[in-house]
Amino acid sequence: MALFWIFAGLTALGLAGCFLQIFAVRSYLGRPSRKGLSYVFPPVSILKPLKGLDDNLFDNLESFCNLDYPEYEIIFSLQDRNDHACKVARKIAGKYPDRARVIVEKCNEGLNPKVNNLIPAYRASKYGHVLISDSNVLVDRDYLKEITARMQESGAGLVTNLVKGVGGRSIGSIFENLHLNSFVMGSVCFLEKFMKMPCVVGKSMLMSKEDLEDIGGFRAVKDVLAEDYLIGKLMHDAGKKVVLSHYMVQNMNQYWGIKKFLNRHARWGKLRWRIGGVRYISELIGNPVFISLIPLLFSGASAYALVLASVASLAKTLGDWYLGKKTGSGINALCYALVPFKDLVIGILWFVPVLSKSVVWRGNRYLIGKDSFLQPYPERTIWAFRYRVISAIKTRFA
Amino acid sequence: MLLCDFHIHTKYSDGSVELRRTIDLYGQAGFDVIAITDHVVNGDSLIGKLAHRFRLSVTEENFNGYIDAVREEAERARKKYDMLVICGVEISKNYLTTDKSAHILVLDIKEFIPACWGYEKIFLEARRQKAITVACHPHYMSDNSRDTLYLWNNREKYDKHIDAWEIANRDDVFNVISLKKYNYIANGDFHRPRHLYSWKTLLNCDKRVESVKECIKHNKGVAITLFRN
Repeated sequence: MALFWIFAGLTALGLAGCFLQIFAVRSYLGRPSRKGLSYVFPPVSILKPLKGLDDNLFDNLESFCNLDYPEYEIIFSLQDRNDHACKVARKIAGKYPDRARVIVEKCNEGLNPKVNNLIPAYRASKYGHVLISDSNVLVDRDYLKEITARMQESGAGLVTNLVKGVGGRSIGSIFENLHLNSFVMGSVCFLEKFMKMPCVVGKSMLMSKEDLEDIGGFRAVKDVLAEDYLIGKLMHDAGKKVVLSHYMVQNMNQYWGIKKFLNRHARWGKLRWRIGGVRYISELIGNPVFISLIPLLFSGASAYALVLASVASLAKTLGDWYLGKKTGSGINALCYALVPFKDLVIGILWFVPVLSKSVVWRGNRYLIGKDSFLQPYPERTIWAFRYRVISAIKTRFA
Repeated sequence: MLLCDFHIHTKYSDGSVELRRTIDLYGQAGFDVIAITDHVVNGDSLIGKLAHRFRLSVTEENFNGYIDAVREEAERARKKYDMLVICGVEISKNYLTTDKSAHILVLDIKEFIPACWGYEKIFLEARRQKAITVACHPHYMSDNSRDTLYLWNNREKYDKHIDAWEIANRDDVFNVISLKKYNYIANGDFHRPRHLYSWKTLLNCDKRVESVKECIKHNKGVAITLFRN
């Protein structure tokens, strides 16, 4: 019984954390009124590293060509001209020749493929400010004006954005969007509001070239998995402000399989485990659904355990639904019935980083070390042998 | 080279994705030419009757509506994605035995062709409409339940009517087509979003319906590719 009360206490703690996350997100909703204020909008180079086909890729890229902004350029950067994204990028560049161009250049400077993709684009960019934006991001016409205005009024060195997951049409995408719009969004706002810890989201980062060069440029982050976190940290350490914009970018996740969802969150978990260390434990406590299910494992389906699990699941589901409604995520209300299952999966995934330190990212496999520093995956060790065996089994049963 | 898929189903038959969303899926992925080819199923067999009962077939009654919808979407796709969309159907003659069953793509169809007609009549009518015909998944497939072997078993008789054969369909490759040196294309047989990643055709021709048909018919400048992400 004592064990039950311990987990009941942890569940209550987790639910309180979720409540604070909702409170924190609420404070970032809506855009501040800028009536009567005037801003200078500096020319911006938008760098778009591309690899593979993301959901809704054409519209995502096109949304950046229709921004209401005086002067900007878009550089689609790829490592391989046979990449399927290259065809889409070329179509967009053909449609908006004055705005966008495509650069295909192999760059092997570091181990992070996104940074390798960004280095040639950065070299080719012509303006004093750069905006790094992922290929799975969709924005409205006023996006760039909003974030440059935010940069000026806060005197920030780096402006980042909240991300909401939209467009889910498969179970993997719905899980992904539910998680982005609750745990991920809540954590970013919570850290910013209550802990004063800047949490940079790589999907959208605006900074000046001067500030980026001051922290060592992209070469300073070429061998880390969490290049966004490290850029934010280096900026912060250099005395430059890192701020979160009130503008929410949309992350299009439409047709993900469950495997992709598992792979992404195992990777992100490993990253946070390597960066956060023991603080990573707080994530497990921040998952009240999973914690409330543990007594069921130990004491069976007792009335107390069932009530605890039901109350936690219901409260978390309602909280996520409220956040989704407030942020306009467009997720069907019935999909929120999946929240407890998603949280159970996330709870199990929490243990993966403790057991494994290899990550697969856009087709590349690495070992991840402290502060998310990457190492090439060994070709000839027992590790490689283990993966050869696993892939042989997978192929056999495919 | 134009990236093409000439075998795509929507909710007009047994596809799981609506027509507009299907067009968007291909447009967003950068395709140059696609053909919407929903099933026209024969109503003279038990399987066919069930398909009609559950509305898994384009019928004579809704054919014009189907063609109009595809043409409307084709116009949108041309403007938005610079993608050519061709109207087509998959004439599906389904019987209980695989030896009697056959599926034929009719690309650039203008008028309804009933699937219960004889093969010769179907081919001649397609030719009259200046459409081209493609024998779909003509040999044994990894998923045995979809085998349609009639045209392959009677290839000497019908070869002259068939403009191309599917040398690859979704994940299957039919090497017999290359051994016989028949004209070939490869298609995804799209029913669900994951089928986007499958065998496709690359054509070296202009992005116009007539050029595409000529290219398939003459089978020069045709390549196949396994489209994967």
